[in-house]
Amino acid sequence: MARYLARCLAQLLVTVIGVVTITFFLMRAIPGDPATYMLGDFATAESVAALRAKLGLDRPAIEQYFLFVRRAATGDLGNSVVTGQAALTEIMQSVPWSVSLAFWGMAIAIALGVPLGVVSANRQGTWVDTAVMIIALGGISFPVFWIGLVAILGLSHWAGLFPTLGASSAEGFWTGVHHLTLPALVLGVSVAAYIARLTRSAMLEVLGQDYIRVARAMGVPERRILYRLALRNALVPILAVISVTFAWALGNAILVEVVFSRPGIGSTIMKAVLSRDYQLVQAGLLLLATAVVLVNTGFDILYGVVDPRLRTR
Amino acid sequence: MSEERSSPAPLAEASLAEAPLNVAPLNVLNVAPLNVAPETMARRPGRFARQLSHPGLMGGMIVLLLMMIVALAAPWLAPHSPLVGDLMVAQASPSLKYPLGTDQFGRCVLSRLIWGSRVSLQVALWVVVLSLSIGTLIGAVAGYVGGWVERMFTTLNDILLAFPGFLLALAIVAARGSSLDSIVLAVSIAYVPRVAVVMRAVVLTIRPRPFIEASHAIGMSGLRILFRHVIPNAMPPVIVVATVSAATAILAEAGLSFLGLGVQPPTPTWGNIIADGQAMLVDHPLVSVAAGLCIAVTVIALNLMGDGLRDTLDPQMRRQTGARML
Repeated sequence: MARYLARCLAQLLVTVIGVVTITFFLMRAIPGDPATYMLGDFATAESVAALRAKLGLDRPAIEQYFLFVRRAATGDLGNSVVTGQAALTEIMQSVPWSVSLAFWGMAIAIALGVPLGVVSANRQGTWVDTAVMIIALGGISFPVFWIGLVAILGLSHWAGLFPTLGASSAEGFWTGVHHLTLPALVLGVSVAAYIARLTRSAMLEVLGQDYIRVARAMGVPERRILYRLALRNALVPILAVISVTFAWALGNAILVEVVFSRPGIGSTIMKAVLSRDYQLVQAGLLLLATAVVLVNTGFDILYGVVDPRLRTR
Repeated sequence: MSEERSSPAPLAEASLAEAPLNVAPLNVLNVAPLNVAPETMARRPGRFARQLSHPGLMGGMIVLLLMMIVALAAPWLAPHSPLVGDLMVAQASPSLKYPLGTDQFGRCVLSRLIWGSRVSLQVALWVVVLSLSIGTLIGAVAGYVGGWVERMFTTLNDILLAFPGFLLALAIVAARGSSLDSIVLAVSIAYVPRVAVVMRAVVLTIRPRPFIEASHAIGMSGLRILFRHVIPNAMPPVIVVATVSAATAILAEAGLSFLGLGVQPPTPTWGNIIADGQAMLVDHPLVSVAAGLCIAVTVIALNLMGDGLRDTLDPQMRRQTGARML
């Protein structure tokens, strides 16, 4: 297990360095000069030159890259061009909002998606299976921001169950929860659809294997087959599904935050994009990608716990 | 990620023994015979018909075809101009003249939806072409050559997959400006690694098969084997992935448009129609709802096609192709 852990962590390091590198080069993909781009077309030559010097753009690309990596390692991702605040600080302010949305969204997605996938695999071909699969197909096919708009219209406006917009935790914990429920539900439902579809496939694969047929022939109770024999072996693929959906959920969370006008990393990035604050976009991109890498590494380690065979490979 | 390291499930084992040396030219609608020797094809004439009778595949194809016809025939189908409105009838309810009402500038919503299909379908088409050709090539070379090339590929792919696809596309569009070109480029860059991963996994199962060994034995060059035998035989699961990536591309384009980063107004796109409709959601929900339904119908059609192709082409690839497309 120690060697497996070491390999996971080594891979983590390589991936994080890669993520930093790609983020750096993405910023250089701005056609023309980033400083001119950020300051707009009416900037004076002096202010552009000043910003170029501040961002280190007057130095050779390689030197800029190493400077960027060295600074990133110490948590310095430059300053927001608009507010002048450290980009990382600015992003960090919105992290709690996004974490609570992502956490509750994923919790709802797993709680809905995994059982639905297991049930529909177990009843393959029945109306239960068909119904679950039709709903799941809808869930992955409707744009998440549209589901959000319809939910606002139906549940907030017409039914009056939830507040429409915003997220005010200042007024107390329960108000915060009340504001969080609908966005988390919208995010959760769309992710649950993916999880249900993939869980079903993973379960079907396991249920089609010989040892399940043997267990059935020997008269092992169906409940025991499903939960003790099949689900355990389908656990690694299901965990893989959840870890893959995580990155996808973060992408969707941007849209959910914007639809519900919630503060968060997504809406901060969006605001930065619209005000051409590329330092801030860069910091947000780096932070979210690093979060995905960390979560994926966590899941990699979890596979080793769940399936001892993986440790030795 | 460790799922990639585990050896992929063998493909369509039934056809393993009969893998031909000469492969029929690729035909998107009828890909299955690729793995089947010519005489087997003759013995099983019902196969193509059976594929077409798959209800999901057939339904998805018909809906998509209709959408394409609508997009191509937009100038003749749209009752009004999608760009010029009549402010006197702004935010009108549905009527005979304006079947879906008008938006805040008095433009016919139905006409805008019809013209909007062009952007979505174009993005889907180009993303499939780009990500399929580039992803296929990269994945195939990585899987076939092996060694350090493959290790480098896997690492790079893991890094790219760490970026949420939509976020990566958003950052690229933010950097390059929101033209149709840069949207296509952005979404393709985000989805190339997903195609490449599947291609590599499939190629790994093809490499050890006897007909590849035989090709080596008769003195074929590595490059020729790659293009004549490895890639064509790996196509079925990759085509499934391509179908699903078209669906994801449409959703990503709609998301970017909704955020105001897509093809810029006044050009109608389904995403920016939803955004326009957001302002009048309570009084005239039909605008946003109808645009969302257009997106959903197209994406459902593509997903049904993907599921159908997966069922008819090779059930064994289900899990891998599915999990990788996110």
